[in-house]
Amino acid sequence: MAAAAGDGAVKPLQCAMKLANGAIELDTGNRPREAYTEYLRSIHYISQVLLEEVETTKEGGETVAPDTSKMLKLAEQCLERAQSTAAKLGKTYLKPAMPTAAPVPSPTSRHRRVYSDEGGKLSPFLPPEIFQKLQVVESQSSKKELTPLQEASLQNQKLKAAYEARMARLDPSQALQKTSLTLSLQRQVMENLVIAKAREETLRRKREERRLRLQEAADRRFCSQVALTPEEREQRALYAAILEYEQDHDWPKHWRAQLKKSPGDLSLVTSLVSHLLSVPDHPISQLLKKLQCAVYRALYPVVSRGAAGAASAPGCCSLSPDADGLRAPGSRRLRPSQSLYCVLSPAEPGPAPRPPDGPHGSPPTPPPHAGPPEGGAAGGPAGPASPLAHAPPGVQSRHSSFEDLEHFLATSEGWGRGRGRPPEPQASGVKTEPLSEQLKSAVKDIHNAIDRLLSLTLLAFEGLNAAASKDRCLACIEEPFFSPLWPLLLALYRSVHRLREAALSRSMELYRNAPPTAIGVPTKLLPRGLEATGAGAFPYCAAAQELGLLVLESCPQKKLECIVRVLRVICACAEGYCRAQEAASEARPQLGAAAIGADDLLPILSFVVLRSGLPQLVSECAALEEFIHEGYLIGEEGYCLTSLQSALSYVELLPRGALGK
Amino acid sequence: MAAAGSGGAAAGRAYSFKVVLLGEGCVGKTSLVLRYCENKFNDKHITTLQASFLTKKLNIGGKRVNLAIWDTAGQERFHALGPIYYRDSNGAILVYDITDEDSFQKVKNWVKELRKMLGNEICLCIVGNKIDLEKERHVSIQEAESYAESVGAKHYHTSAKQNKGIEELFLDLCKRMIETAQVDERAKGNGSSQPGATRRGVQIIDDEPQAQSGGGGCCSSG
Repeated sequence: MAAAAGDGAVKPLQCAMKLANGAIELDTGNRPREAYTEYLRSIHYISQVLLEEVETTKEGGETVAPDTSKMLKLAEQCLERAQSTAAKLGKTYLKPAMPTAAPVPSPTSRHRRVYSDEGGKLSPFLPPEIFQKLQVVESQSSKKELTPLQEASLQNQKLKAAYEARMARLDPSQALQKTSLTLSLQRQVMENLVIAKAREETLRRKREERRLRLQEAADRRFCSQVALTPEEREQRALYAAILEYEQDHDWPKHWRAQLKKSPGDLSLVTSLVSHLLSVPDHPISQLLKKLQCAVYRALYPVVSRGAAGAASAPGCCSLSPDADGLRAPGSRRLRPSQSLYCVLSPAEPGPAPRPPDGPHGSPPTPPPHAGPPEGGAAGGPAGPASPLAHAPPGVQSRHSSFEDLEHFLATSEGWGRGRGRPPEPQASGVKTEPLSEQLKSAVKDIHNAIDRLLSLTLLAFEGLNAAASKDRCLACIEEPFFSPLWPLLLALYRSVHRLREAALSRSMELYRNAPPTAIGVPTKLLPRGLEATGAGAFPYCAAAQELGLLVLESCPQKKLECIVRVLRVICACAEGYCRAQEAASEARPQLGAAAIGADDLLPILSFVVLRSGLPQLVSECAALEEFIHEGYLIGEEGYCLTSLQSALSYVELLPRGALGK
Repeated sequence: MAAAGSGGAAAGRAYSFKVVLLGEGCVGKTSLVLRYCENKFNDKHITTLQASFLTKKLNIGGKRVNLAIWDTAGQERFHALGPIYYRDSNGAILVYDITDEDSFQKVKNWVKELRKMLGNEICLCIVGNKIDLEKERHVSIQEAESYAESVGAKHYHTSAKQNKGIEELFLDLCKRMIETAQVDERAKGNGSSQPGATRRGVQIIDDEPQAQSGGGGCCSSG
């Protein structure tokens, strides 16, 4: 089927993919404005094409072109990305440096504005503290009951917004009024907080009593031992929190009963876990958020630094080409919403529920700042201390991201000098080595985080403990866990694999128009009259399109499925071409003649990789290899991933070895 | 997933083995595996990856075995990429064409590499294919068998065309892999049972829910 679709009506999808890929490139290149335009262009193009398609086939019946669903999916993904880019833009446009009007302020931009002065200018990623807040805000919006402090925080946000609006209306000459406005805002905000804190205190005391009771119950469950590792202690605390949660909520009991009724039902597992993780105040979903934030906090400085290094290193495919222009320290200016940042922080609910020995002491602490972990990431080859294993309170500073940036630069330079190396970051060996060490530790943290989430989930719902349910449960946890982290994680992988990507992209440039036979694809597995096919359509382009969809997914499992589809499409295309040739030459069809083995698959896949034009596949695959389930390792998914990696290496090394040996 | 327990051969569990298929372009490895996987089952059991990746379920003396057969590209220019295919393999089938001396030399190269990469834990099978062309034989039986013995491999004679020797080859290989796995298990059972250490080597998976048992194999998305 894919073979048939392979050559006919492929052009529009291909064009759409090209547009989308261009947009992604711009996006990762920290050019949100252009990226935004390109995303919209892709969507526009897709809807145009589909509209025409529908109109022309109106008389012909209800046939829907096979690519339509793919196109729609692509449009959907472009739209999603456009939304997040728009949010990013909303931030950027606030800066006086960008006087041009935002094309379409998204509905969320007003909201994100709040964090405008925290904009991570250096990299296209949000600084960790904002990432964390966004997550919290996200969960707040879906929550019915707010704690007093959260309520106060929301109130204060509104106050702040009103204040900003009034300030904007005031003439610069009315300085006195401005001051009084500011003072009154601060007073109101403080009052709100004081009241809220008092209410919170009362509530907390009541809860504490109950918590102690439940903690005892949890201890009984774990049949108390004398010596406890920190992990065990945390596990217990979390379990107690779950018990506490279940005192107030009935839904976990209903699910448990259902699990008991039909223990083998995997779809039940899926819906349970996704429900569990969508309830923002359940301890497990809070743990998920907390662990995500910790991973994000660990990755962010590394990626920012990596981007800075790449930007100043010549000849490297930089992650953020604009970084240089944004670094001028003289451009510091007054940020009106700075005060809000201070206002917001005490209200931050934080990664509750905190274990009694949790990292945060008193309630009104500023958010643990992402700043460079002094001794760790910036420190040296020892690698950063794992932020997940009972994160140290972090550097509790209130520097703006801007000062962080200066700090990053200073520490990384100092690091270079300290080791007696030339300060030029272009000596890539200097950069890459610690970077890969940091990648290793981040990967370890991610594995640990997932393990913890899984074991806690299994603890809370014992019915999930059978092997198949456990696997399903893991898959369900991974998707929400990875989705927000993948872009940043990939950025780290990309800076680690910078040189490989550069080599791959050189090959892609050099052999962009090489015919499939040059890569070793036998003619019997090519469509007849290949020369006649015009530009645009090429053999196996259905597979290349499928491969292009991989970069749009953000969950490892989905990406793996995409790779499997690529190989299946190749096999289907090959079979189609082969049968067509047999039919044309009236040869007797042999059993299994059309079934291709690795001897044919690998050259075809290499050709497809070449035509995909996506050098970042190297990094995607490296990340996938790390996070693929053990169970998939020797199965079809593992085979497909291995084949893709082989093809990538082969293409990467093409310029060195002669073609077609 | 990493459910490796000691005494894994107990009821309700199955062995999962990865077997790589190596051999030069025209030695007939594709036909060999297609024969093997088609014979027991009909055409429909060929996965959508055709002859590149095949799975097969066996029951040997009450022990259930899931085989995953990984084909590799035999061309010289892909040789450097071999290691990522055969890491974590439990067995390797090295095929040569008895009428082609050169293909036998290639097998020797692969043996060296496999031993270097995977040590003695991998079960090697050296397979002289195309015995239907006995008259054109260029690799002597004696030479091949003594070579196999010298490297701790077993030697087999097959004809994919006449469907000879193939069933025996796979059955024998599976038995040897089970033995190796059991020795491995016993060694692990004595030592500390490290849950994280199962990424390499044999995996014993619990495949009791039959509907889903192919999870790692051929039915991930229909």
